[in-house]
Amino acid sequence: MNIYAYILRRLLYVIPVILGVCAIIFLIFNVVAPDPALIILGKHATVEQIVEIREQLGLNRSLWLQYFDIVKSAFTFDFGRSWSTKQEIIQMIKAGAIPSATLSFPAFFVSTVLGISISLLVAFYRGSVFDKITVVGCVTSMSVSSLAYILFGQWFFAYKLGWFEISGYDYGFPYFIPYILLPAIIWVMLSVGPDVRFYRTIMLDEIYQDYIRTARAKGLSERVILFKHVLKNTMIPIITYVVIQIPFLILGALLLESFFSIPGLGSITLNAINSSDFPVIRAMTVLSAVAYIIFSVITDVLYTLVDPRVRLS
Amino acid sequence: MKKFALPILALSRLPLFSCTKKEEANEKVLNLVVGSEVKGMDPIYSNDRYSSNETARVYEGLLEYHYLKRPYQLTPNLAEAMPEVSNNGLTYTFKVKKGVKFHDDKAFPGGKGRELVAEDFVYSIKRLADPKLQGLGWWVIDGKLKGLNEWREKNTSAEKVNYDEVVEGVKALDSHTVQFNLTKPFPQFLYSLAMTFTFATAKEVVEHYGNEFLNHPVGTGPFMLPEFKQTNRIEYVVNPNYREKKFPCDASEEFEAIAKEYCGKTLPLVKKIVVNIIKEDQPRWLNFQKGNLDYIGIPKDNFDAAVTPTNELATDLSTKGIDLLIQPSLDVTYTAFNLDLDLLKNKKLRQALSLAYDIDTSNKLFYNNRALPAQSLVPPGIAGYIKGYENPYRGHGKEADIAKAKKLLAEAGYPEGKGLKELTYDCPSSTVSRQIGEYTKQQFAQIGVKLKVVQNTWPELQKKIDKRQVELWGIAWGADYPDAENFLQLLYGPNRAPGANGSGYDNPEFNRLYASAAVMQDTPERTALYEKMVRMAAEEMPWIYGVHRQNYVLKHSWLKNYVITDFEAGSEQYLDVDLAAKKTALEKL
Repeated sequence: MNIYAYILRRLLYVIPVILGVCAIIFLIFNVVAPDPALIILGKHATVEQIVEIREQLGLNRSLWLQYFDIVKSAFTFDFGRSWSTKQEIIQMIKAGAIPSATLSFPAFFVSTVLGISISLLVAFYRGSVFDKITVVGCVTSMSVSSLAYILFGQWFFAYKLGWFEISGYDYGFPYFIPYILLPAIIWVMLSVGPDVRFYRTIMLDEIYQDYIRTARAKGLSERVILFKHVLKNTMIPIITYVVIQIPFLILGALLLESFFSIPGLGSITLNAINSSDFPVIRAMTVLSAVAYIIFSVITDVLYTLVDPRVRLS
Repeated sequence: MKKFALPILALSRLPLFSCTKKEEANEKVLNLVVGSEVKGMDPIYSNDRYSSNETARVYEGLLEYHYLKRPYQLTPNLAEAMPEVSNNGLTYTFKVKKGVKFHDDKAFPGGKGRELVAEDFVYSIKRLADPKLQGLGWWVIDGKLKGLNEWREKNTSAEKVNYDEVVEGVKALDSHTVQFNLTKPFPQFLYSLAMTFTFATAKEVVEHYGNEFLNHPVGTGPFMLPEFKQTNRIEYVVNPNYREKKFPCDASEEFEAIAKEYCGKTLPLVKKIVVNIIKEDQPRWLNFQKGNLDYIGIPKDNFDAAVTPTNELATDLSTKGIDLLIQPSLDVTYTAFNLDLDLLKNKKLRQALSLAYDIDTSNKLFYNNRALPAQSLVPPGIAGYIKGYENPYRGHGKEADIAKAKKLLAEAGYPEGKGLKELTYDCPSSTVSRQIGEYTKQQFAQIGVKLKVVQNTWPELQKKIDKRQVELWGIAWGADYPDAENFLQLLYGPNRAPGANGSGYDNPEFNRLYASAAVMQDTPERTALYEKMVRMAAEEMPWIYGVHRQNYVLKHSWLKNYVITDFEAGSEQYLDVDLAAKKTALEKL
């Protein structure tokens, strides 16, 4: 099958999935969301004001029309305005996406490259002291709470040693760099442990396959086996693991952004949850759902590029 | 190992990266912090402390709070003088200052800010009442201005709100005279003119920016913000066309030194304000200690490290030139009695229970000994608070107090608590509220009174109070404006539940005094009436008075003129930065 036809077909599948996601969001928020009038009008709300605000928000319209609004927003990205801040949501998302991306993408890239590299090394030296130390190190780093990394890192490296900015963010290159360095390092510290354990497992699985024994029997060097055969064959689980995380990078890092005062999407989401700002929560949910679907299509296409055995059908 | 030690030590003194935008060393910049997101910059939506403070850097109102006077006092801001008030107390006529200009903005012809006129206040008040906009400060003028509620109602169903229709309650008599006509006397109305909700906006700017007006603040204030963005930092620059406004020369005794030093200096005193939005306590605390912030409220987890048990600043902070400021908040916590119940109408019983309750231990246990035990209901800082007054029925855990409480209990008809049924104490469901309930139970037990503690959700407790299903309950009240009336109304008979008077205290003499004072302007006579009511409330004990909580603020020595205020809006124009002192202090940090 032509790759374009395949992509088009997969994208068409997206439509019913989005309709379903919107239905779930609609049901959840219509059942659990508090009365928007109280959120918008605050403690001095009068009955007349509540009636008027419900009318203005279209909450008196039929449920079908309200559902249709959510579906429409998933395709047009017109999410309306925040109940709490009255800002246009798409503008809030645009403004938050840059700080989030400048933190999460470099940190994600470094942690992935580092994770794969370390895994290849431990696979190469499997069973050795180095392998054991790495595994113990990974487990130890995973056992410490992310908050501990953040609090200690901020106090010691930023405050005591003065190597980094304590918190904040500046827009534009290269001004943002000093602000994202420490949170990015913490991100890498937090991710490398689980990443290495995962990649190591799949690589070791591969190393014990029959074709590797065949390769060794043919006299191929361990380096060629590892980089040419093992790495290539582990690409499918690696791609699945990596690409499927990308949509969540868009959401930002809730704790890191909050502690380092980075005005990203994580902060926006957290504020929205704290103030029951339904339109913003809805927008972020719809966006992540759409991003997830799109990136799963990308994953499928990438499979065909790295593994000719995978056929688009 | 030693080989690495030196380079690491050397490195540790240097920041790894130096491409951050740093402020000019010779420019006076205020570095402030807020702990929450700032919603936007539209005065009619500034209903929380954060938005209101930001809005007030750009916009101004007819009145403001005098920065250096306590009790709080209103003073003219955009008004030429305090208003002329008609004899019947219904008409307030203000002369608006001449020559005041809005900030330059493209919404004005040629981009030049035009002069502020009386009509701008009429427009701004109507905008607050606009039913389509649902301004969050509507409650401050709801039902108070003649014809405004009718105007609002009429426009609710209209296609377009008619701002041209003249409303009797707020009108411009000429280009620089604005008149407010009240539906009934309400001297506290003036406080609403110092609230950001009623600050002056220009119609052409609102219309130019439409829905985006909240991101384009254009006022007459000392600072300008070309565009508001919801980010981690807001940077204001000084308004080059700001009118000639001078630092006040008069002040309360405690602030006289500030007034003497700065009297007559042109405002604002700094060139720029940087507001950092830092939500978490640790980065806020560390940034302050590094000198990146000029002052902060002490985060609760750092309180013990910053303040000694004797309420002094920790030595390591004081040697860095950090100062500690403490001021009571305008609030009161209390345990109310339901006076509809015959049992609790017994004044001696109430007095006995109050004496049995050790407020000092309560203060230590629940407020780190930071609060001020309340003697009556009006907090310090406003007229009506009686300095040095001690409530004769205030318990301090002394043997004499318990003995007196026992005596009063016997006189009430319940010697050693005999014959008295178990009382019920309702409280909200938080841990601290429950602990306070348990503490109260233990205190009453000293004189033989039994108490049952019942926890409720906040709406449940409110419902119980309204339906009179309570006996005793723990609650608190914070001031809406700095007037004892706002507290005394809690004991005014006609305000009984479901009104604000939850205890149902209904003393004809108190009611008479309240009714007289409520329509009086702020005069020594009114203060005398307030004080009389305060003493009466202390004697009668419709509540067991709790505490007035306190603000603890740390500031760096280079920040000049900072005083704690409950009404911060607009106060940063009075702050100064001593650049030489800052340079020296930063070396120590």
